[in-house]
Amino acid sequence: MLFNSFQFIIFFIVVTSVYFLLPYQKRWVLLLLTSCYFYMSFVPVYILILGFTIGVDYFSGIAIENAKAGQRKWFLLLSLVANVGVLSVFKYHNFINQNFTGILNCFHVSNPIPYLSILLPIGLSFHTFQAMSYTIEVYRGNQKAEKHFGIFALYVLFYPQLVAGPIERPQNLLHQFREKFEFDLERIGEGLKMILWGFVKKIVIADRLAIYVNTAFNHSGQHTGATFLLATIFFSFQIYCDFSAYSDIAIGTAKVMGFKLMVNFKRPYFAQTMAEFWKRWHISLSTWFKDYLYIPLGGNRLSAIRLCMNLMVVFLLSGLWHGANWTYIIWGALNGAYLVIEILGKKIHLPFLSSQLPQKLVRIFKILLVFVLSSFAWIFFRANTVSDAFDIIKKIASFKGPLFYENPSMLIYSFAGIFLLLLVEMKQEFYTGSFSFMHHKSWVVRNFTYAVLIIILLVMGVFDGGQFIYFQF
Amino acid sequence: MNPNQPSKQNKQSSQLKGFVFKTLLLIVIVFLLDFTIGTTLKYFYFKQESGFLYRTTYAIEKTKAEVLIFGSSRASRHYNPNIFSNRIHLSCYNVGHDGNFILYQYAVLRTVLKRYHPKLIVLDITRGDFAIRQNDYERLSALLPYYSGHSEIRPIVQLKSPYEAFKTLSFIYPYNSLLFSIAVGNAEFNKQKMKDINGYVPIEKIWNGSMATADSLPNYPMDSIKINTYQSFINDCVSNNIKLVIVCSPYLFKTTNPDNTINLAKAIALKSHIPFHDFSTDTIFVNKNQLFADSIHLNNGGATIFSNKIVDKILPF
Repeated sequence: MLFNSFQFIIFFIVVTSVYFLLPYQKRWVLLLLTSCYFYMSFVPVYILILGFTIGVDYFSGIAIENAKAGQRKWFLLLSLVANVGVLSVFKYHNFINQNFTGILNCFHVSNPIPYLSILLPIGLSFHTFQAMSYTIEVYRGNQKAEKHFGIFALYVLFYPQLVAGPIERPQNLLHQFREKFEFDLERIGEGLKMILWGFVKKIVIADRLAIYVNTAFNHSGQHTGATFLLATIFFSFQIYCDFSAYSDIAIGTAKVMGFKLMVNFKRPYFAQTMAEFWKRWHISLSTWFKDYLYIPLGGNRLSAIRLCMNLMVVFLLSGLWHGANWTYIIWGALNGAYLVIEILGKKIHLPFLSSQLPQKLVRIFKILLVFVLSSFAWIFFRANTVSDAFDIIKKIASFKGPLFYENPSMLIYSFAGIFLLLLVEMKQEFYTGSFSFMHHKSWVVRNFTYAVLIIILLVMGVFDGGQFIYFQF
Repeated sequence: MNPNQPSKQNKQSSQLKGFVFKTLLLIVIVFLLDFTIGTTLKYFYFKQESGFLYRTTYAIEKTKAEVLIFGSSRASRHYNPNIFSNRIHLSCYNVGHDGNFILYQYAVLRTVLKRYHPKLIVLDITRGDFAIRQNDYERLSALLPYYSGHSEIRPIVQLKSPYEAFKTLSFIYPYNSLLFSIAVGNAEFNKQKMKDINGYVPIEKIWNGSMATADSLPNYPMDSIKINTYQSFINDCVSNNIKLVIVCSPYLFKTTNPDNTINLAKAIALKSHIPFHDFSTDTIFVNKNQLFADSIHLNNGGATIFSNKIVDKILPF
């Protein structure tokens, strides 16, 4: 069930209405059952994989808490092996096998290991990471083991963030399933606003840009450098709008019911450094890697060389987390390299950047530089193969040939969407305290704003758009 | 009993009333805006007198031509109705529509049959027409402006999604993403620019791209809904005594293996005693880049040769 579907709107209205009619002690039952239904609407049988993860992590959590000091790590290890094992089988088996076959072929040896013909369960990496964060936090003593199986299952299955995050931590989410959330109209209104803006970002902007992006990237041999340059810029906005829209709808949906999920995006394309970009982009994943990998590897208190190596490890794994393809690994490596260069470059003083130019200009330059660097990396993320990505870069560098467009409206709608996004986000980034349509004190102005957004959806929205990009991870 | 309880309840109750009132008002504002903008878009959509959108309206609501040519963009670029009219001595209109295949064509046929019965129909089939492609269903949105006025096309549009009947309650939705096209379609400068020849859209361009010797076609699974629709197209023509000719018009590149759709379309046609002419491997056209505008569309010169060839096959009529 996609968030941008009629089924979801009906599902959301029914579930939320029943949720508030139930006594708060019983609400978890409704949420658990409806979350199962939500997940099973994709591929029903895959609920069994989630059941396995939930079972292992539930018992591991209790075992970790009850075990003696020396034994606790073995239960943690059991949980981590089970979770990573599920990921390895369903997500990485064929990729590893394919590369293994390549290596064996070099020695004229055939690979006896068969390929698995299975569909990747939707959102597997998201809920696996969320489940892992639970046992790690119990092991660290930051979270008490959850004794209630139903509540724990709901922690992993909670439908708003089940398939594409935000990847929650047990300290933030688990206790909320026992809290009594009142029917608070102000909070409900805020949640609905987030959902509405999420729909605009997904249907009006992301799915519109996807038309051009898919046309270019799926036929990389047929298009020119100018087309790929535009498609790359469009993809930078598409993936941001697509993914942050999902987060907005997820957070908004949870908020309507009273839950507070963590913020996942903070206008990343206004970052002035790559380090800042990663503090604004997919925050729940960045902090997951920071808390459970980067800091255990030594964090910032290491020599520059070790620090850089650790950063590369984290970003290579982050790339691999996104998908079992070399394109994602190169994307991760590029982003790691950017950060390494940034750390090493801090020692180099560029006087023209600090003194002679006006600060506003320097700021704009830095924002543009981060956008260019991240967009360059996105080419690998979006390209179907590594060789496609290099062909595309080669074409962009040569910048030959005309710009492709089926009709002018294709570009007009795309640019109009980006303009709307930039307008809203520039206001949020630079003029926080000033006039706001969505939060105006007059409800008449607010109502007109919502109405206009709904009309924009109807006039400019792409109603046949596909699923969210991050579902595949 | 808490003395504050009633006042708290009263406050909640008045808040709820306020919320319901504001929500109702929002619905009213959305309805008014939707009605006003949707009605305006509808007016200007049907006011067009040339261009791509107008050709759809003309095909669905106006044409009375004795010969109709159905198909995708390949049909609208490959068949010159004037050649048909001059040689067969019957009026002819090309209802080919960019990016739309058998589902759209059958919907148009149903609107035509509701108004009159043409004497001859030429249906152009393309490689991969019967392949399972969600995109082909989404492209049925080209029929949405006609959804409310033409009950005969509704079952076909509803193949797009089961919620189309609900979505079309909106006045804007049928014209979704058409704002600029409608504006341009009504602009003076466009009326001359977009002139077509009875639905035929000639391309004056010669293909100078790469020349592949042979493409290999994948053995794709086929969509039973599309196959059944194709069969219904044939059945409706037969039952209404309309002569039907099915054609696969030329391609620039030959393929190493035959296309699944063409094979099946030919088999079904022959079983129903409908003539099927396959020009996809015709040596007059294959690898003749001077006859093509791109790898799948003939240019005006190529279309002239091809239109005459097809008329040769149809005559005597």
